Amino acid sequence: MGRTGPRVEIFSLRLVIGGEARLLSGVRFLCLLLALPLTVSAATSRGFNRLLDAVVRIDVREVSFETGVKRFTGGIGSGVILNDDGYILTNAHVASPRAVDLSITLANLERVKATLVGWDHWTDLALLRLDLTDLKRRGLKFSHADLGDSDKMQPGDPVFAVGTPYGLTRTVTRGIISNNRRSFEEGLGSINGYETGLFNTWLQTDAAINPGNSGGPLITENGLVVGINSRSSSGSAESLGFAIPINVAKRVVASLARSGGDGNMGSVTRSYLGLVFGPLQDLEKFYSLKQNTGVLVNSVDPGSPAAKAGLKPSDILLTIDGVAVDGRFPEQLPPILDLIANKTVGATVKLAVKRGDQASEYALVTEKLESRQGEAWAFEKWGLAVRKVSRAYARENQLTDVMGLLVTGVQNGFPAAVAGLGRNDIIIKINNETITTLDQAKKLYDALADKTDSVLIESQFNHQVSLRVLKPKP
Amino acid sequence: MKTNLLFIFMRRHRAATLLAAAVWLLLPAARPLRAADLPSLWKERVKSVVSVEFFTETELDRRTNIVAGVVADANGIIALPPGIVGGRVTPAQLKDFRVHLPGEPAGAYAHAEYLGQDNLSGWNFVRVEEKVRTKLVPITAFAGKASTGEPAMAEEVWGIGLRGKDEDFQPYLMVARIGLVQSLPERTAVALAEVAAPGLPVFNGEGIFLGVAAGGFGSSYLQYGARGGATPVMLMNVEESRVFILASEVTPWLGRVPANGSGRPIPWLGTYGLEPMDPEVAAFMKLEKQSGCVVSEVLEGSPAEKAGMKPRDIIVAIGGKPLPRLTPDRVAVRYFEREVDRHAPGDAFAFTVLRGSERIELTATLADEPKLAREAERKYFEKIGLTVREFVFGDGVVRRVKLADQRGVLAHFVKSSTPVSTAGLRADDWIQEIDGTEVKTYADAVAKFAAIEADATRTEFVLLASRGGETQVLRVKLK
Repeated sequence: MGRTGPRVEIFSLRLVIGGEARLLSGVRFLCLLLALPLTVSAATSRGFNRLLDAVVRIDVREVSFETGVKRFTGGIGSGVILNDDGYILTNAHVASPRAVDLSITLANLERVKATLVGWDHWTDLALLRLDLTDLKRRGLKFSHADLGDSDKMQPGDPVFAVGTPYGLTRTVTRGIISNNRRSFEEGLGSINGYETGLFNTWLQTDAAINPGNSGGPLITENGLVVGINSRSSSGSAESLGFAIPINVAKRVVASLARSGGDGNMGSVTRSYLGLVFGPLQDLEKFYSLKQNTGVLVNSVDPGSPAAKAGLKPSDILLTIDGVAVDGRFPEQLPPILDLIANKTVGATVKLAVKRGDQASEYALVTEKLESRQGEAWAFEKWGLAVRKVSRAYARENQLTDVMGLLVTGVQNGFPAAVAGLGRNDIIIKINNETITTLDQAKKLYDALADKTDSVLIESQFNHQVSLRVLKPKP
Repeated sequence: MKTNLLFIFMRRHRAATLLAAAVWLLLPAARPLRAADLPSLWKERVKSVVSVEFFTETELDRRTNIVAGVVADANGIIALPPGIVGGRVTPAQLKDFRVHLPGEPAGAYAHAEYLGQDNLSGWNFVRVEEKVRTKLVPITAFAGKASTGEPAMAEEVWGIGLRGKDEDFQPYLMVARIGLVQSLPERTAVALAEVAAPGLPVFNGEGIFLGVAAGGFGSSYLQYGARGGATPVMLMNVEESRVFILASEVTPWLGRVPANGSGRPIPWLGTYGLEPMDPEVAAFMKLEKQSGCVVSEVLEGSPAEKAGMKPRDIIVAIGGKPLPRLTPDRVAVRYFEREVDRHAPGDAFAFTVLRGSERIELTATLADEPKLAREAERKYFEKIGLTVREFVFGDGVVRRVKLADQRGVLAHFVKSSTPVSTAGLRADDWIQEIDGTEVKTYADAVAKFAAIEADATRTEFVLLASRGGETQVLRVKLK
């Protein structure tokens, strides 16, 4: 069995089937161990074997701030080497910016360090790069995988999942594509609070995928990578596995590689309008629409470009920059969101909208899409873990300003807890200074933490303002 | 031996509102209660208590409630403890009040009329029909002289409890000693054992009326599981209380019979989210000898706003008098709210706030509080499966909607397995549009829903509803 238990985080996914919400409890993040070279009679093509040589194991050590202290945790995942430059593709939930140490085990069992080049929680993808200098010095070689075309995958096509379910190394499982366009109406929960799964559909497979498979490739008989395995359902459901289509990953990888490296964390820049869509199915008559025309605006984020422009829930969006949209079914919504996301940030987007009998055109300037999770930090001497209040968090909680630090944890007996601060309090002011950035708070903390002077903290919880006195430990 | 008592304020607040106070077993009684005196004292005083049964009618059922009440005057006025009406239960839903005399056959009750709730005390009042009034004695008949003062520590006191309906509401005796008297902010005595049913009077050895027992106080216990692990739990005895508010406080309340069912007029300042100033903060601000209240919000159009009050002001004085130092610190908020409640709409209310380092004197002219949820119009549509309720000022406050943007109605009740509940509507959702048309007023919504219910050919309709700031289109299938 595996030396370390796979890191498994459980969350719930609501699968909407036939209009009825069904709760699939415990769809999991998967992590996989290394797939070692092996011989498989079912698929002995050269490409297949070459692919197996390109799969690596990733040992991650990462820092967490949850309880008011910095803690280090470990996890194991997998990845696929993409090219001779040593780029490795894996899941965002395997390697995150919280990682402080990434150790790669190649197919030849040699260990090499890697760095995180870029991270995209929205698609659950991360890009790592092997330490090529070290490889060269040690004379180590590696192979890379060839990528297929996930758009060509059809239900019934045979596929293989490569991974290390429950620590069982060198496991290749076989199945077919069960659905080439799976969507999850409610998104896919989150990765440690970071939103995910909104902008793409998924390849669903019945190839056995279990905890331990995460980050590993879903491949064709010829060894072409068509997806990155990242989810499976657990509980009473069986043979429901989900992979990110490789064509989605190709674009993400290009962005991450372009923007990351040399000390920069690569990311995918997406545009945001603040529109939440719903499928139009069965409502065409009500809105006097032809079938396969438009998409229903189900909700508009308060304060977003769409809200400022005057768009309203129950508007029907017909075109985006002249491109007709069709959101009749839930499966059609991710591509529409992706279409908006791909607009240049700050660009003007023209939307044709129908409201009642009136058709009108709106010009919206896109904002940069931001996660609701702000940057995390721990003020250790105060026993206080915080996150910057993000724009999305402020919106959701109807805060008047995007400012302050959200308390994510306090350590018992430490100054913050003694002062009465608790989870979900928002720190607005420290010693009468309004906190607008995390760096500003860090500076204040550095100046105050080693003194014995009391610190006056203004916080709010559920819009109720409290003043608290924090007494640093003598 | 030591007992912990926990005071639970029935308020919207965080779990941290469980406040503890220690009570000690004290010296033997100074003035022993003589058993020989009791029967005659008992016989008279039991005439000042009754059991009141009434029904709460909701969309789906009719619930029975039984509370204890104290006779307030010679004209059949009976005072009942707080907590009968609220946002969910309105005076109109309270039906069929029946007054049972202790120990008389439960079938032989007298009818009573609900008069409303007093805003200051929270007490509810009913008036019992004439035929039984001669059998009742107002509690004021047993009042002591003002010089009687407060009960002494360890003094033995007694009160009345009432058994259940199946036992003809038989009255029974409870005896305890005074452990502590404190301000919460009313002068309140904590006895060492249960001393009376909530809402019923407590007396001393001479039969002098000392106060009325209050509910809502719990005690903390540890619950041991089968595997030995202990879990802290709070238990509240809802039939008997150890805590009573002194006669000096409650006697004036006995006369506060509301002029109408809604308890109007209700004085209103318009501060929202008052938080007590933490003692450490008070010390930081050099205000350790008094209490203070931090104002989270000043409501739009309120007397406080007109007086120039700002969010985050700290209220430190009323009428030039500093807020007394009260413990636990949450009591300071109740103290302030109570001071407002002592006034009437139209009164000038002068207070002092601390804004930064500046002390500012403000005077507000109190107004009558905007319509409350319990006064809002509502109507039940059985076929669709919901009760719609008028949108009132407080709904805008909790939803953070500016006055100018307030419209629509609330889903007050959503029946399960009905078209609207299947469509995803939940109680307290804010309905803004019906069939793509904005709902401007309550009457507008009622007319639209009535038309939908009346139209047998209707297969579906569409609602625009908002919950937690997020608005959604809901499709309701009628067939």
